[in-house]
Amino acid sequence: MQRWWQEAEVDSSTPVIEARGLSKVYGSVTALADADFRVMPGEVRALVGANGAGKSTLIKILTGAIAPTSGTVTVNAEPAALGSPTEMIRRGVACIYQHSNLAPAMTVLDNIFLGRQPTRRFGFLDRKRQREMARALLDLHGIQLDLDAVVSTLPTVKQKEVEIMKALALDARVLLMDEPTGWLSASEVAKLHDTIRALKTRGVGIVYISHMLDEIYAVCDTMTIMRDGRIVAQSAVSEMPRPRMVELMVGEKLARDASDAAHLQRKPHGSGEVRLRCTRLSRLGAFTDVSFELHAGEILCITGLIGAKRTELVQAIFGSHPFDEGTMELNGARVKFRSPGEAMAHGVGFVPEDRHREGLMLGLSVTENLIMTTLDRCRRGPALLRKRIEQVSRDAIRALNVRPADGRLAVRQLSGGNQQKVLLGKWLNLGPGVLMLDEPTVGVDVGAKAEIYSILRAERDKGTAILVVSSDLEEVMTIADRIAIMVSGRMVSVQSANELTMADIVREIGRKAA
Amino acid sequence: MNANHVATVGGERVARLVSSNALLVVIVAIGLVFSLVQPAFLTAENLVGIVRQVSMIGIMALAMTFVIMTGGVDLSIGPVLALSGLVAVFALDADHPLPVVLAAALGVGLLIGLVNGVVIAAFDLPPILVTLSMLSIVRGTALLLGGPEMHSIRGQPGYSFIGTGSILGIPFSVYLFGAIAALMLVVQRQTTFGLLVAALGDNERAAFLSGHNTRLTKAVLYALSGVCAALAGIIQSSQVHTGAATYGEFGIELDVIAAVVLGGTSLMGGNGSVARTLLGVLFLGVMNNGMNILDVPIDIQLIAKGVIIALALALSEFRQGHGGR
Repeated sequence: MQRWWQEAEVDSSTPVIEARGLSKVYGSVTALADADFRVMPGEVRALVGANGAGKSTLIKILTGAIAPTSGTVTVNAEPAALGSPTEMIRRGVACIYQHSNLAPAMTVLDNIFLGRQPTRRFGFLDRKRQREMARALLDLHGIQLDLDAVVSTLPTVKQKEVEIMKALALDARVLLMDEPTGWLSASEVAKLHDTIRALKTRGVGIVYISHMLDEIYAVCDTMTIMRDGRIVAQSAVSEMPRPRMVELMVGEKLARDASDAAHLQRKPHGSGEVRLRCTRLSRLGAFTDVSFELHAGEILCITGLIGAKRTELVQAIFGSHPFDEGTMELNGARVKFRSPGEAMAHGVGFVPEDRHREGLMLGLSVTENLIMTTLDRCRRGPALLRKRIEQVSRDAIRALNVRPADGRLAVRQLSGGNQQKVLLGKWLNLGPGVLMLDEPTVGVDVGAKAEIYSILRAERDKGTAILVVSSDLEEVMTIADRIAIMVSGRMVSVQSANELTMADIVREIGRKAA
Repeated sequence: MNANHVATVGGERVARLVSSNALLVVIVAIGLVFSLVQPAFLTAENLVGIVRQVSMIGIMALAMTFVIMTGGVDLSIGPVLALSGLVAVFALDADHPLPVVLAAALGVGLLIGLVNGVVIAAFDLPPILVTLSMLSIVRGTALLLGGPEMHSIRGQPGYSFIGTGSILGIPFSVYLFGAIAALMLVVQRQTTFGLLVAALGDNERAAFLSGHNTRLTKAVLYALSGVCAALAGIIQSSQVHTGAATYGEFGIELDVIAAVVLGGTSLMGGNGSVARTLLGVLFLGVMNNGMNILDVPIDIQLIAKGVIIALALALSEFRQGHGGR
């Protein structure tokens, strides 16, 4: 029997993974179009692109989480059956996600072999063999880990290494790393990169997905740039200047055209009237000393990386998880909301990021969802006013162009874009003075996106103060009048959108907080 | 894509129509079998009798529907039924006027329900554990007050009327059940409260983020459940002219929950219907009555009932799993 950790002979001319002509179509939306993608042994390939560019679709196909509409994937020159996670794992494709997939209360050793521990007869665990195997693996890859440490007591970077070991114990030939440094400090990032370089020498192929351009230039050999579901460029990292890369990522020409139009429409500071003033807001473990002003008739976008605590900030303002320190003024009067109901009574609305978990009642009808924030206007005493409700619903469906235009449908039956419009409509019905939106177009197709943007602009022009949290830079450049950047719970800048280019923002948000 | 939508919508409508009427079909079918075997089943007298028999479980099942829709459950209703009956008996013994007697008995249920609701809502505790603890506490309290013996009610025509009186040949408890059922139907379909309960059951977090006081709503539901259990206790003690700490044992809460779930309300919360719960209640009533009429021994009855409920639930889960998505 082959020793378990011994890798198959590394043939440096055969790609460890190669995809040809991959496409994925959801209804009328093409998430991935005709993608060719390959990784050679010992290659670290960066996969970059804005949100919605198709990176995650590609990764999901490579991990077997979804099956492509067309196309093939070969692993070590053998064709793989697609759409089956077990098949891809068996073939040595492992993925390390941004969020940990470890069992935090178990030891490093147990985690490495979780679910497939070597056993003796009768299913008893073979602890001794397990330990020997783990040791050999650690030595092989030059990684140092205390096998008996409980995972939750380890620093984040060590936990990442445990995940990597877990993947290597499966004899992984390809490691997909999705934003692996999202939670790491600068020195930890360097450590992780050392580990990656060690893996390279063992012939492991690595796909490195990151928004941090510095990291890509530090550790990657090659890069694949995606935009709008297509691969727009493949190149050696050394031959790709940064400005060119950003341009390819976001489609600078398109963005410039759009933003030229948007520039004319931009209204930094809106009407000049301060609607909401936050001064030194802090919440322990989330954000610190956040100060900004939001004006009537403007769209202020807060951008940054996942983990920058932007959602926490808006939730604190909305009162669903109040802040500890600082002051907030609404129309000049000091306020602090202890519940969403209180915020709404003051005309503050909040469209949460996760429409399924936090935004909508999927099993209830479109109409019922639309009136959820304004029940008080739809009743006489305890009784619902059916006629008025139908009217409100019809108007909203028409104004938002919800398809199909039938208020009796369960929201579950609508497409993502239409669900998002219902969610938006539910809050517009409130007639808010301040409307906050968290990632308002996640998982929404391009057409619905454009509609949502024009709805937001119209709302702004009515004098509403709008605060948008968004990680999608193209979105930020398209709709923002002013742009605030958050890094690690601090607001590092607030500027007029006219003074910023996409490249400026990428540089700012990628800056590591000390 | 649009045609697709329409097709699935149409399909789900049909599925929903079938699934909401399946129980009715089953009830009619079982009724037919019973009446063929034993003609005494299909008499006006017997049918009214069925409704009278289920009125207590029915009243409790109405409130339980709302509770289960929010993903909760109230297991304390059995002992609440016993305690409220006892309290009524003692209040009658002390020669209090009828309104005071009723207020005291209902008040006990309200209080216990409120404690359940406030504890569950304020501390985010699992309802099954809170109400299970309450089951033990209330049963103990009832035994403390009443001891193991029966307490018979001395002549109080007003009180006896609740359980034994009739108007136009129909028992008063049937009117009571009918009135509460009508009220709950209106609450569910025509009030903001009913909509809020549905919203809470579908997505509690979203309801909270839509500015609703989800905790208050939950607390009110358990209070409602307590009151309904107390009302059932009044009917029970009035029907048998006694109060006892041991009433409502032998899994009365199980019958209530079964009726609700038979009506298609998922124990995981979400979509539920008072109207369909009424069908569930009727189903249990027909089953019990039919088996009584056919002289099925009680031991076999219990086993048969358990099997039938399990089968019916499996069927409805199967339907939800395959028709709903």
